[in-house]
Amino acid sequence: MITLDVVRELVRETLALRPTDEVRSDQLLFYDLGFTSMDLLDLLFRIEERFAIAIPEGTLYRLARGDLDDAAFAERSILTAVGRERLMALLSDTPPQVFPATIHAATLPRYATVAAIARLVDHQRESR
Amino acid sequence: MFELVQRIEIDAPGGRASGVAAVPADHPALLDHFPDRPLLPGTWCLELAAQIAGPLVEEALGDGRFAVLAMVQRARFIAPVELPTTVHIEAVITRREPSTTVVETTVFRGGLLRARAELVFAHVGGATPAAIAARDTRLARWKVG
Repeated sequence: MITLDVVRELVRETLALRPTDEVRSDQLLFYDLGFTSMDLLDLLFRIEERFAIAIPEGTLYRLARGDLDDAAFAERSILTAVGRERLMALLSDTPPQVFPATIHAATLPRYATVAAIARLVDHQRESR
Repeated sequence: MFELVQRIEIDAPGGRASGVAAVPADHPALLDHFPDRPLLPGTWCLELAAQIAGPLVEEALGDGRFAVLAMVQRARFIAPVELPTTVHIEAVITRREPSTTVVETTVFRGGLLRARAELVFAHVGGATPAAIAARDTRLARWKVG
């Protein structure tokens, strides 16, 4: 199975959805599927176990920041304009209107789609 | 809720804690569990484990935040625990993240493993002075034993 299909299956398990319930790659975890922060934690634990990888807290932040200095990416935990652009580029399949003007660094997973999580998994697998 | 734990020892730098809890056969909440064979509910095993693991996490954090049980992973109830009982609980931190701590817990009775569970605690701030005082009083009582 490709990573996206496994992630979709794990999303279903996390939310206790039926196997026939649709989970699309373009759905936002929080806004479309109703994820809470605990659901995300549960999903990430399931992903770590299934793929034998680690996804430490802050992985999405580090990927979005890339080679930028911390200060250039976020100021007092709020993404700078450049930081916001970097996040939107990383999460390019999330509709731009979803991203608010002010983004707190702790909320980045809110803007991820199912497909974005699958890409994250592939990145972590390749980085092992 | 917290009257069952008798004693706790915490090695915060080492990420370990151990404790002892005693559960009487005539606990009011357990009189029907079960009338002819009083047993410690598995859920109470988890609760007692959390009562040992939580303070460990809080002391390891060292910043006043509370450790609130957020998730139970891979819980196993190895064998029934008959009442009355005294159980020995071990807790070991296995993973630390900025917002959560994962603790592996084991519950022993008479030197035999009775339950194990991986507990995930969320770090919660903003507690009231009354809640902090109650926690500190409870922990002081447990540490004296």
